[in-house]
Amino acid sequence: MASAIRQTLVMTRANLLSLPRRQAISLSMSLSIALVVMVLAGFLSMAKGFEQALRGAGSPTVTVILGGGTYQEVGSDLPPNVVRSILARRSDLGVRRDAASELIASRELVVPVDVRQPGESLGQTMALRGMDLAGLSLRDGVTLSAGRPFAKGSRELLVGDRLARDFPAFGVGDKIRLGAVDWTVSGHFSAGGSAFESELWADLDAVRAGFDRQGEVQTLRVRLDSPAAIATLRDALSDITETPLVITSEADLYAGQSGRTADLIRLFGWPLALLMAVGAGAGALNTMMSSVADRTAEIAIVRTLGFGRLAAFASTWIEAVLLSLAGAAIGVAASWALFNGWQASTVGANNTRMMFQLAVTGDVMMTAALLGLAIGAIGGALPAIVAIRRR
Amino acid sequence: MTDRHDPAPYIDLKGIRKGYRIGTETVSIFADLDLAIAGGAFVAIMGPSGSGKSTLLNMLAGIESPDAGQLMIGGNRLDRMGEASRTAWRAHNMGMVFQFYNLLPMLTAAENVELPLLLKPLSGKERRLRTEKVLDLVGLAGREKQYPTRMSGGQQQRVGIARAIVADPGLLLCDEPTGDLDRKSADDILAMLGFLNRELCKTIVMVTHDPQAARHANRVLHLDKGEFAEERSAA
Ligand SMILES: Nc1ncnc2c1ncn2[C@@H]1O[C@H](COP(=O)(O)OP(=O)(O)OP(=O)(O)O)[C@@H](O)[C@H]1O
Ligand SMILES: [Mg+2]
Repeated sequence: MASAIRQTLVMTRANLLSLPRRQAISLSMSLSIALVVMVLAGFLSMAKGFEQALRGAGSPTVTVILGGGTYQEVGSDLPPNVVRSILARRSDLGVRRDAASELIASRELVVPVDVRQPGESLGQTMALRGMDLAGLSLRDGVTLSAGRPFAKGSRELLVGDRLARDFPAFGVGDKIRLGAVDWTVSGHFSAGGSAFESELWADLDAVRAGFDRQGEVQTLRVRLDSPAAIATLRDALSDITETPLVITSEADLYAGQSGRTADLIRLFGWPLALLMAVGAGAGALNTMMSSVADRTAEIAIVRTLGFGRLAAFASTWIEAVLLSLAGAAIGVAASWALFNGWQASTVGANNTRMMFQLAVTGDVMMTAALLGLAIGAIGGALPAIVAIRRR
Repeated sequence: MTDRHDPAPYIDLKGIRKGYRIGTETVSIFADLDLAIAGGAFVAIMGPSGSGKSTLLNMLAGIESPDAGQLMIGGNRLDRMGEASRTAWRAHNMGMVFQFYNLLPMLTAAENVELPLLLKPLSGKERRLRTEKVLDLVGLAGREKQYPTRMSGGQQQRVGIARAIVADPGLLLCDEPTGDLDRKSADDILAMLGFLNRELCKTIVMVTHDPQAARHANRVLHLDKGEFAEERSAA
């Protein structure tokens, strides 16, 4: 056994020494694997970044009450008397109250708005969220990064950092036309890069007035005493029969949305990566096969000297694995350099634009690199077998 | 010294049958071949192309096995060994020299010669000493680091011979060792083989087309249509 390992090492070394003579062909094998790794890493980092953006948006103690039996904010509708009835309750709902023992709640309404940058002909659809002032305190991890919050009753916008970065028109103090009226940017907020940062926040009544949505409420946000108190809330509101209520934690709401989209990205990414993997595998196979002729002669020589079959196979195979390892490393490094932190946007919740960063995380790199290695290991084994069979 | 009186020849082939399957047909090379070679002999094998000389040499090397018959070398029944044992046997008992040298181009002369030693439990220092010694023996001292592609045919064949004897095997199998060389280089190589036979007591079986080369041997066999005819046997 020790001798077999030594034989393998010697032959592997000889193979590697002859790589410069087979430069083009070895390079093409490594690069085809690098390409597959990059494609997969691209899709996986997109799914990962999307997930991270939405995950960061959810808090487990903030609960969202939706009406109409939907989990989609834009499809939700809470009739005014239902909202009034909930806010008027004095019994224990498992929900935080202020000093005056009023419910801390935010009535919210999301309106898709078209925003046109000066000089651009095509507008972007963004989410304008109208909310009560309490809404700001009902969002964990949100901090003011510039200016001040919107004032009650005025047409002012608090703009997510990510939007503000992409759209210079959203400078603090700038005026911008949304719908039929002008709005003033009062400040910017940061939400740790989460999906919130792709939204515009404003006073509920100002949004209702500006878009002719008087009296409308889509969702009601409250803060639970504890994550477990959601059962108390559901129980307490079970007598409301006017509309089927959906009571869900903010975390679950966003996780549900992110899950679907991230799954969709992966659903497209994996088959494409696998398809390319087959192509690259065939390329790798072809490369190795074409060096089999070369290899067969060398193997025949060392075999007559008394080198074993196993060593002949292992050394040929190890070369393929090393080449694919190099390819995987190139692919991972290139993905990281090219994709990590890359701004992407998609149509997120509520059919509005949502921005996120591609995240080339450790597990993304690991998964992509393993696929590259697997291609090399499989694509390299067959020629190695052929090479020893000939002798 | 003639092997016919030797009670136990070093190489002893009895009733060897060997053929190749081409498609559905089997082409017979040897139907019933006998051959006995004494230890310490220098045997030349001549014969027309395709008569099975290389096939015979490959069987003696344990690279190919006979379809039937007994193949005994130095008391070992090669025909009864498995592939792995024959490979290991080869590493310790014989060296091969080829018409086209069969050196690995990406390795230096010394690295090529060292290859068989890597199959033995030797330290790096021992390997280097033995490599230098045989390179010196074949007249290539100082050329350790040279690559075979930069050498003349005669020099490459010396590297080939150095590699064949570095592990000190008892048997040397040479397949047209001078077939690719000019007269002068060929004579040098043949002289060297003669020296290895006389001074280091190597048993040599050499396939050759060259009658002048055959003259260096002390026994010449003619192989034709799967049978041997003895041409000359020197005392
Ligand atoms: N692996 C093989 N498969 C099929 N036929 C083979 C194989 N090896 C050799 N042969 C055939 O066996 C016969 C003997 O071949 P061999 O190489 O032993 O001849 P040779 O005497 O060495 O010839 P040469 O002088 O040309 O080297 C030839 O007809 C050859 O075609
Ligand atoms: Mg031949």
